[in-house]
Amino acid sequence: MGSNSAKPILIIDGHLDMGFNALFNQRDLTQPIQVLRERDDSLKNKLGPYETDPGTVTVSLPELRRGHIGIMLATIMCRVQVPWPGRPNCHNAVRTQPTAYARGQSHLAYYQALEKEGEVSWIKTLEDLESSVAAWENPTPDTPVGLILSMESADPILGPDQVAQWWEDGLRAVGITHFGANSYGHGTGTPGGLYPTAYPLLDAFADTNMTIDLTHAADTAFWQILDYWEGPVHASHCNCRALVPGQRHLSDEMIKALCERGGVMGMVFAESMLSPQWDWDDPSTHYTKATRPMKAVVEHVDHICQLTGNTDHVAIGTDLDGGFGRELAPIDMDTVNDLQKFLNILRDRGYSEEDVAKIAHGNLLRLFRNAWSK
Amino acid sequence: MADKPMLIVDSHLDLAFNAIQINRDITQPAAVVRTHDHQSTLYRFGSSTVTFPELRKGRVGIVFGTVMSRIDPTDWLGRTGGMFSQAQCYGVGHGHYSFYKAMEREGILKFIHNAEDLDAMVAAWQNPSADTPFGLVLAMESADPILDPDEVSKWYDRGLRIVSISHYGNNTYAQGTDTEGGLLPKGKPLLDALKASGIIVDMTHTTDQGFWEILDYYDGPIAASHHNCRALVPGQRQLTDDMIKAIVERNGVIGAAFDVWMLDPDWTRGVRGCDQTTKATLETVVDHIDHIVQLVGSANHCGIGTDLDGGYGQEQSPRDLNTIADLQKLPSIFKKRGYKEEDISKFLSKNWINFLKETWGPKTRE
Repeated sequence: MGSNSAKPILIIDGHLDMGFNALFNQRDLTQPIQVLRERDDSLKNKLGPYETDPGTVTVSLPELRRGHIGIMLATIMCRVQVPWPGRPNCHNAVRTQPTAYARGQSHLAYYQALEKEGEVSWIKTLEDLESSVAAWENPTPDTPVGLILSMESADPILGPDQVAQWWEDGLRAVGITHFGANSYGHGTGTPGGLYPTAYPLLDAFADTNMTIDLTHAADTAFWQILDYWEGPVHASHCNCRALVPGQRHLSDEMIKALCERGGVMGMVFAESMLSPQWDWDDPSTHYTKATRPMKAVVEHVDHICQLTGNTDHVAIGTDLDGGFGRELAPIDMDTVNDLQKFLNILRDRGYSEEDVAKIAHGNLLRLFRNAWSK
Repeated sequence: MADKPMLIVDSHLDLAFNAIQINRDITQPAAVVRTHDHQSTLYRFGSSTVTFPELRKGRVGIVFGTVMSRIDPTDWLGRTGGMFSQAQCYGVGHGHYSFYKAMEREGILKFIHNAEDLDAMVAAWQNPSADTPFGLVLAMESADPILDPDEVSKWYDRGLRIVSISHYGNNTYAQGTDTEGGLLPKGKPLLDALKASGIIVDMTHTTDQGFWEILDYYDGPIAASHHNCRALVPGQRQLTDDMIKAIVERNGVIGAAFDVWMLDPDWTRGVRGCDQTTKATLETVVDHIDHIVQLVGSANHCGIGTDLDGGYGQEQSPRDLNTIADLQKLPSIFKKRGYKEEDISKFLSKNWINFLKETWGPKTRE
């Protein structure tokens, strides 16, 4: 098959919790995946801040380079939430906003240290974006991974007066909420919308070219944001509610509304987001081992393309190592590097090379080119 | 006991580590934090003893709050989490600094950058109100979050005033507690940069070799933030009498540590605090201070550097201490030992205050 020998093309991953993995799972992400797995395997005492099972690391910087995942949206991730039911020791939920701010700053500082080492190149402007894209036309083994800073739940922003500083530090995309009822509104797993504090925050974002990430908005919050916010939107890591149940995924109405606004939706590579048996809102349906291959992701790609009548709104936002590991990634996926195989699956399914390029990087590039051209 | 509480300076508290890594809301009373903590947290870190309300009750108005993250691949499962790369340490360290900045924004504390700030804070704590902010001297335990010596001045501008070169294990700039060896190749350039900024070098957590190498090479200000006496409790973690004399000759101050591993020779390291009972009490802490005073013939070099909640909790603290508020029991113990009021206030606050003022001088950099 010609498709399997296709030259790797640039992939943009729209959602990776790099900072959290480096600081709370103590992973030195500059190391090869084998090293990180051996270290995780030596993890004997699982009490404490360990979110994932041993030996299942799928993301490291060398692995991203190997897979030509040349640009990533890397997160600041910390939310205010009372200890999570069923996960009372969850370490990405904290009790106060100052703590969330400090956690968020620690992720930011980690990325700054990686930039200083030449491991990543920070993308803050259109010029940065184009030069990263150009560098990945013919990458060397050392080409830095382009980093677009995103935030999952806005709790680390202590108030609208801090938005300008976060923008200057490189923040380019923000989800207002995550799991639970957070500082600015209701997130996944809760009923409700935005809190009054969210609107001045959105006003402050409007003074920048920030993109709002609708992932993890509770249903009411989703529509309130779309209604109030006039700037660019996307859903960095969301699948389709028509195929898998639960508020965590976007309904057809939501997908249409998002795409009408020029939004892009990143496909998540997790069993929990691909299996119709897995209901996000019902923990008794959750399990610990993946059953589905990457082909299951294509069903979501197909669904969105059929619904919108084009291929302009699908992207990749794997969320790999985002609170799970290889055990819940698609069964034919060993590391993030295997995303190139996913492109082959799309090609085999009949997607044209042009469509594949849009999904791999083109749609997200268009989103940020538009957002930053103003 | 009915005496007016005295101002206390605590020269070593891992406040940010408790807030960020252990995930505690330390704006709440310790009794509340104890109900928040998950059982696995209690096993690893013990029962909370240090929160802002407890500090206020104990009139601990000025604290050295740490930035704490170290490279230590041999101990990455340890309770305080050794890292593999300096980038990770920088991230964690910057998070700790940011926690203190967020607390400053809330009005809970104020950074102390110079002698003027210190004077103002001491004055405010003479008659504190219910919301007098705490004074914070930014400290660093192991220099690993300083990516390079040329970043020292940036950390100084953030407020950093005292740094220990190492902690436990094999760190970036020097070997630390539980290892052998001394300064590593990057150690001397770091000391040069610390000297240029006028940052105090904290001798706590050096190896024996490292202690003497640093003392020999570094001619800037030195102190030992949380350190007891090897004459009373054996082991590398404590200062020998010669070391104590050397620090005192350089006009340094030594903060008495409250971790019973450093107070009770019969304490079994590696066995959890909740599975054993210490004989050590606040009297034991006073024994160490008394030893230093007798050794050097002066009451001008002892302070309090509890390290409470420094990876352990109430179970591994002096048995008559429930929270850090109980530090106010110390004056009567000192009195019983025959110390005068003037000496007691030196131990509790004045020695550290005088040391900082002498170090920073009237013309401290802004």
